[in-house]
Amino acid sequence: MKINVAILGSGNIGTDLCERLLLDKEFNVVAIVGRRPDSEGLKRFVGRIPNIVSSGISGMSKLVEGLDGVFDATSAQDHLEHWKYFEVNNKFMIDLTPSKIGRPIAPALIGKNTTMKLGEKFAFNYSLVTCGGQSSAALLHASSKHSSGIKEVEISSSIASLSAGPATRRNIDQYIESTENLASLITGCSSTKAILVLNPADPPVMMRTTVSMRVEKADLSKMDSELKSIVEDIRKYVPGYEVVISPHLSKDGVVSATAKVTGAGYYLPSYAGNLDIINAAGVEIAKKHFKNYELQGDLK
Amino acid sequence: MSLFYDVTLRDGNHALRHKLTAKAVTDYCNIADKSGVWAVEVGHGNGLGASSFLVGKSDSSDRVLLESARAALENTKLAVHSIPGFSTIKRDLIPAIEIGVDIFRVATHVTEANTAEKHIEFLATKDVIVHGVLMMSHMTTIENLVIQAGRMETYGASAVILMDSAGFFLPEDTEIRVKAIRESLGIEVGFHAHNNLGMGVANANTAINAGASIIDGAAMGLGAGAGNAQLEAIIANQIRDSHSNLNIEPFLSMSENINQNYNDSLPRITKSSIESGMAGVFSGYAPQVKEIAQEFGVNTSKIWDEMAKRNLVAGQESMIREIAQDLMNL
Repeated sequence: MKINVAILGSGNIGTDLCERLLLDKEFNVVAIVGRRPDSEGLKRFVGRIPNIVSSGISGMSKLVEGLDGVFDATSAQDHLEHWKYFEVNNKFMIDLTPSKIGRPIAPALIGKNTTMKLGEKFAFNYSLVTCGGQSSAALLHASSKHSSGIKEVEISSSIASLSAGPATRRNIDQYIESTENLASLITGCSSTKAILVLNPADPPVMMRTTVSMRVEKADLSKMDSELKSIVEDIRKYVPGYEVVISPHLSKDGVVSATAKVTGAGYYLPSYAGNLDIINAAGVEIAKKHFKNYELQGDLK
Repeated sequence: MSLFYDVTLRDGNHALRHKLTAKAVTDYCNIADKSGVWAVEVGHGNGLGASSFLVGKSDSSDRVLLESARAALENTKLAVHSIPGFSTIKRDLIPAIEIGVDIFRVATHVTEANTAEKHIEFLATKDVIVHGVLMMSHMTTIENLVIQAGRMETYGASAVILMDSAGFFLPEDTEIRVKAIRESLGIEVGFHAHNNLGMGVANANTAINAGASIIDGAAMGLGAGAGNAQLEAIIANQIRDSHSNLNIEPFLSMSENINQNYNDSLPRITKSSIESGMAGVFSGYAPQVKEIAQEFGVNTSKIWDEMAKRNLVAGQESMIREIAQDLMNL
């Protein structure tokens, strides 16, 4: 059974997501929803997607019945209203905005980290957190699982300036707080710090995320093999994800590792690995959520 | 007449590997408060909220250092450096306002001024002085430098400070940039020199003559890499040419205080300073480059060149290890 979805938002993220889903046999893209008829993102899909909606969710009343779920690539401010509408209509929601309403999720850690669980009902809201959160999740999990006495956790990411849009730039504090929150969830440590650096180099740099933790004890080789097995899973949906610096002691009692993300280039260029990993994780969680209910035989 | 802005207890904290103590802050501020220096900037080398594994942990918290300075300063203003991406409004700026910081400098890489929008706008609504800072200001064209400075003005900054973070400029480079902003914008201009190629004091003097009204310096030049322009030397030049009513004596006491307490950490123009200056790479990376070069057995100059090639901006310490690793695999 195909997953029937709509995409809210026809900006860079929504467009990339749409291209990605059109190539994925498990999905049927019912609609892309924007706010302006002249949006480049909407025009791009005329003739390729059955319903091009340019009047926001108010133009969806006839379509909502045929949907299983919705991807929200609009803004944190608009997300709450969207979620209210789709929740009463029993649709699942994949939130790509930094709204903090849904359950923070890193799909590769489901079944591995106790805090990363599929939703308990069909109309469930998942938050993809931030690119720093998605790119650090595997490192956070592997490092915290094989160490004890975690005192503090740090996630530092550098991304290409060109991949940071105006919303990200205005909301760096929100990015930091959401990323720190996910790190606390995964590691169980309340002292977390996230750092974001924008690099304007030309040609643009690939995203890198370093996780460091001050711990009492660490088993580096177990961390390394745990990490390798999770990375194998992640690479199935983010082929450009790789660990470039394996877990090592960077200072006394501090374990560090670094991952690099090269984008798959559906619509956004390959340097936008930060956007790519969020979209890819969103698609992955939609599949997992849907399959879970399909197996239980109680879809809707 | 220009205002002098003392970065000894902030940029100098790079040279001290962020080990500055509350007592050292108190002792220094007690002298500085009677010197006539306009402002003293205090904190971690990378500013508020920057204590981290990435750029180095502070021995003392921002709060402890700022409260010590606040208690000692009556005449001189208390200032902080703050980089969005490291600091947040809630966790760092609001507590600093409550402690009584007078001047907030919101700093970004020279091409990324719009990441400062929220922080500058927020501070502009408070009863504090707000400056915008463009770090690594050599890494863009003069036209774009003016555009970026203009953004900071729009957000509400009363001055924009150009940082020559890699100590790359010659006096003519400084002059043309300060003048370009003075001619295009209504905002005050400040200049922050580094001494990698020996041009620190000369650039500070040039900036004054070109119309910069806020001039950064550090006692004994204590600062990242080869250090900052030496404050007491800048002031001595101004007094000599009758451009300043300041008295040199207290500045020499500040100089002696630093000289005696941190004789081992005083910046010099070392091999690394010149390599980073020529490559145009942030001089604050010097200690990590040295450590990692030793660990991997790679030449420091090769690492600096590769860092320049990859256009590293401040705050990318974790790339140094990756570069060393890549150089080994060549």
